Amino acid sequence: MENKLKKIMSELFDIEVSEINENSSPDNIEKWDSLNQMNLIVSLEEEFNIVFTDDDIIEMVSYPLVKLILKNALHGE
Amino acid sequence: MKFSEIIKNNKALNGQLETPSYKIAILSNIMVHQTKDICEYWLRSDLVNADVLVGGYDNIVQDSHKFKESDAVIIFWETCNILDGLQYKIELMGDKEIDEIAQKVKLEIDIVLKNLKKTSLVIINKFSSLVFNRYSINMSKLNLLENILNEYLEVNIRLNVRLVDIEKIISNVSIDKAIDLRFYYSSKTFYSFIFYKKYFQYIKPMVLAAVGRTKKALILDCDNTLWKGILGEDGFDNIKVFEEIQYLSLMLSRRGVIVGLCSKNNLQDVNEVLDNHPDMILRDKDIVIKKINWNDKVTNLREIAKELNIGLDSIVFLDDSDFEVDLVRSELPEVRVYKVPANEHEYGVLFRRVASLFYSFTNTREDRNKVQFYKDQIKRADVKDSFGDIESYLATLGLKLTIYKDDLSQVERLAQLSQKTNQFNLTTKRYTEVDVINIIKSTDQMLMSFSVSDKYGDSGITGLAVFDFRNSMLDSLLLSCRVLGRNIEFAFMNAIVEMLKQRGLFKIESSYVRTVKNDQVSNFYEKCGFSKNIGLRTDSNIVSSYFIILDDYKNINIDYIEVVYGE
Repeated sequence: MENKLKKIMSELFDIEVSEINENSSPDNIEKWDSLNQMNLIVSLEEEFNIVFTDDDIIEMVSYPLVKLILKNALHGE
Repeated sequence: MKFSEIIKNNKALNGQLETPSYKIAILSNIMVHQTKDICEYWLRSDLVNADVLVGGYDNIVQDSHKFKESDAVIIFWETCNILDGLQYKIELMGDKEIDEIAQKVKLEIDIVLKNLKKTSLVIINKFSSLVFNRYSINMSKLNLLENILNEYLEVNIRLNVRLVDIEKIISNVSIDKAIDLRFYYSSKTFYSFIFYKKYFQYIKPMVLAAVGRTKKALILDCDNTLWKGILGEDGFDNIKVFEEIQYLSLMLSRRGVIVGLCSKNNLQDVNEVLDNHPDMILRDKDIVIKKINWNDKVTNLREIAKELNIGLDSIVFLDDSDFEVDLVRSELPEVRVYKVPANEHEYGVLFRRVASLFYSFTNTREDRNKVQFYKDQIKRADVKDSFGDIESYLATLGLKLTIYKDDLSQVERLAQLSQKTNQFNLTTKRYTEVDVINIIKSTDQMLMSFSVSDKYGDSGITGLAVFDFRNSMLDSLLLSCRVLGRNIEFAFMNAIVEMLKQRGLFKIESSYVRTVKNDQVSNFYEKCGFSKNIGLRTDSNIVSSYFIILDDYKNINIDYIEVVYGE
């Protein structure tokens, strides 16, 4: 799951997979702006066949949080 | 295809096409940033070297001027966001108020159409309120407004404008799948990715026609394509003509599409059917070219292209056999191939999709209500000529800027603005609510903010500036993108300078800190008459610092914005 997530992020944000780490957030990734944030959500929903709630979306503001919320969504929490 | 795949594939195609670049501007009063990749990819995969620019949020009028040199302009004009919350506010409005809104939009339509009169292709989505009207039995007020505006569009468009009935596309994917309201209230996006895919598929033939890449020939197989049954086995008397398909083929042929046959059969058998079968609708005179023989279809299609002197990419081929369909697809990828559906009842729908590929501009002219058109044209000429440019349009809005100073009641909103604003933000300093309170309460600092209203509504608090008296430094200056394109920034700067002069300041400093998102304001201070400090800093490619002697500041004259001071 993490690999897929990183791959999607790398394509959307135009960066190498290796550049994504636990510190990654909109503050240090150029192309991670509010518009690309929506693209990220749509892409993850398609890839993992899930639907994020409004609260999920608000909270997904760093790589660790995206990963956590994605994990929860996949396990139906 | 998934969204991430489209982005990836589009990137791969970028710069690969040798055809000339085709510039498309997408204007909107909602956020449509997702359209760029989808639109580009869909067209690039058909060899149109599309280069899409998405206009500013809610800047249709301004952008119609800015992008008029584009090859094509596409406009998303959403009824529900004509003003913020219109979809519910309108139901309590009186006739007069609704009429005012309609007049405003009509005026904007006039200006947009005038600005774009020389643009070769303008695609405007019709106004729709379907999403918010889906359960209303009586006509709602939103519905009424939508009808008024659509009627106006229909009688006012020029020949370069195509209206798109967007509700058809919404219904093709279903309302629930076409709309994603999760980001509507926060970010003003409206449509889903699935919708955009269908949308650009739907309008693609218009663009292909505009660049001369439209499909020209429809080549049909015979057995189980023009009729049910196999002529060579079932015989003349036992085939059953596909009447609907033949009617539609004949319609295409009358519209100038080349209709041809490519079939493994004996030529004289097929000729016998074309000449003498009582149920046939298509006759020999309607068929431009026939390849009825036992050669493979790839060879036949190549010959057809050669004899007609058209490109293989302008041919659409329809056949019922998996074998033939696969063969042509793999050998002649330029040819658009469709397979006759296994279920007869699906054939008519598929055929209509095929027919849409032969879109040509001239068919749409008769859709228009000519009598009304000429009547209104006389009226229209008066209004339009009085609005030559954006400035005079802005002047009609009744813009009012209300300035506040150190207002503690706005703390929450001010902090939020500083956190969220990226584009029009000179230093991108982020303030928490506590920071904002400290600035407001401090006598060393001052915080100015503003709201903008026009005769149709109020934007709320949409900009701020922070000034530090200790070093005479303008620390922060930002505007929400909702109020851009109206020259508000200059009126605000006038007010800031005025305020600082009253406080007895002589010279002030300011700086621009480059981020990846604020390029649009890189020369803002220069525009306002500030001078650049040269050689002061080592990191000068990121930070530029400026100063101005306040008495040298020339008020930027924007007389159509009324400035008042709030309590």
